[in-house]
Amino acid sequence: MNFLTEPLALEFMQRALIAGAVVAGLCALIGVFVVQRGLSFLGDGLAHASFGGLGLGLFLGVSVDQAGWVSLPFTLAVAMGIVFVLRRGKLRGDVATGVFFSVSFALGVMFLGLRSVNAKPVNVETVLFGSILAISPQNLWMVAVVALITFIALAATWSRLAYATFDPDLAALSGVPVAALDYLLLGLTALIIVVSVKTVGVVLVSSFIVIPAATARMLGKTLSGVALAALVIGVSTSVVGLIASYHLNVASGATIILTLGIVFGAVLLLKRR
Amino acid sequence: MSEAAPATLKGTVPDPSLPRVLDVVNLGVDVDDRTLIDGITFYIPKGEFVCLCGPNGAGKSTFLKSTLGLMKRTRGEIKVNGKPLEEARGAIGYVPQRKTFAQDFPATAVELIVANLRGKWPLRVHADEREKARLALVKTGGEKLIDKPLAGLSGGETQRVFLARAMVTQPELLVLDEPTAGVDVKGRAEFLELLAGISKSDHIAAILVTHNVAAVTRTAERIVYLEAGRLVAWGLPDELLGHDRLTALAFAPPQDHKAAPDED
Repeated sequence: MNFLTEPLALEFMQRALIAGAVVAGLCALIGVFVVQRGLSFLGDGLAHASFGGLGLGLFLGVSVDQAGWVSLPFTLAVAMGIVFVLRRGKLRGDVATGVFFSVSFALGVMFLGLRSVNAKPVNVETVLFGSILAISPQNLWMVAVVALITFIALAATWSRLAYATFDPDLAALSGVPVAALDYLLLGLTALIIVVSVKTVGVVLVSSFIVIPAATARMLGKTLSGVALAALVIGVSTSVVGLIASYHLNVASGATIILTLGIVFGAVLLLKRR
Repeated sequence: MSEAAPATLKGTVPDPSLPRVLDVVNLGVDVDDRTLIDGITFYIPKGEFVCLCGPNGAGKSTFLKSTLGLMKRTRGEIKVNGKPLEEARGAIGYVPQRKTFAQDFPATAVELIVANLRGKWPLRVHADEREKARLALVKTGGEKLIDKPLAGLSGGETQRVFLARAMVTQPELLVLDEPTAGVDVKGRAEFLELLAGISKSDHIAAILVTHNVAAVTRTAERIVYLEAGRLVAWGLPDELLGHDRLTALAFAPPQDHKAAPDED
């Protein structure tokens, strides 16, 4: 029992556990739509775009802890840009995402380099790989607000979003506002990624979106079943990974992702039999 | 009601006094300064099965998309049951090409059919909706598929489910976009017989876009032939099938009592 109570007695671990579980749940839910639409690369793209926003925030003199507020509109703008380009049909999704992703990331690197020599040094590793154990109460509030927005938006649009994900043309014929839902989905994904970057970092956040949904797809027969499975996988692996990282004394974000990877591998093997 | 513009090959057109389910008048679609469809005019009387043919790039897909309201038209008018398209979309049932839908989407046949009834994807299917879906599947010979995941269905089975999806709203016009593409020969023949049978028994008009001459010979009561975005021929299968001028139909098996259309 000590295995659980010992880490959870620590306040920073409690915050990490809550933030990790909520962020994992949000990423898993939105991931069901992102993966089903063949936009898995998008999570990676928007995470790297958020680095551009963080770099801009730091360049403007905002602290690392608060830079998410600058990253948020920046990443949203990139997400809207990607949908706009996709909907014009001139570029494939991976090409559009790849262009926005590399340009935003390069901007982030440039902004960091342009900072004043007197500016407080920034640990770029923290931004790239996350710092779930350093989640502040303010960060937790930001996660809670994003979770509330996501929950309301998904609850209100789930059935239409599902239809548009199945086939945009058939959905449009039934009167579903497909374009508006495209913007909503990418907007929500951008929002979730910005708050998730704090926990697992720019480099690993897309696995939070892709792996639970990809694992759940092998288990569920209906979209609701897949979503429920993704949610359970995301939240439970986040808790297990975090506690395991405490006892093994290794990086928490990476351990959570590795736990996800193990679950994915196990399901893949079982399903192949 | 408007009269049709002359086609290059003048076949026998439907009696203009018959009530029309689809009325296309001088339809034009431009995209990025390119004219994809130019001045297409024809009509389909209630219950008639029409095959829309033509070579690649003829404008069949563009025509289909504008008829469904998925693509904005630049000129002209489309009426369904005498009403503007925008007010009468409910009267159209659409069966897409098999390759265009997400076949790995986690869904069952009943969910897909109920989604068309509700206009949104069902979280739960109610008993009355399930019964409507079942009846539609009975009509298309796919009753046993009701709870099957779409991903596990064969090409022919998938199209039976999609036909049931289109039929469940009791449309007056079926729009079918190469529905037998990617379906094996046996499944294709069965599906075409099914289509022709439903159109006759339920008196539903249909417009079938196809490259397949066999599909035309099995189903068409009339043919509309497009080429380079223009209507080139409109007439009976006996008049147009096998005609040298119509490359997409030129290799049709010879028809008995073929009547030659007038050529401009």
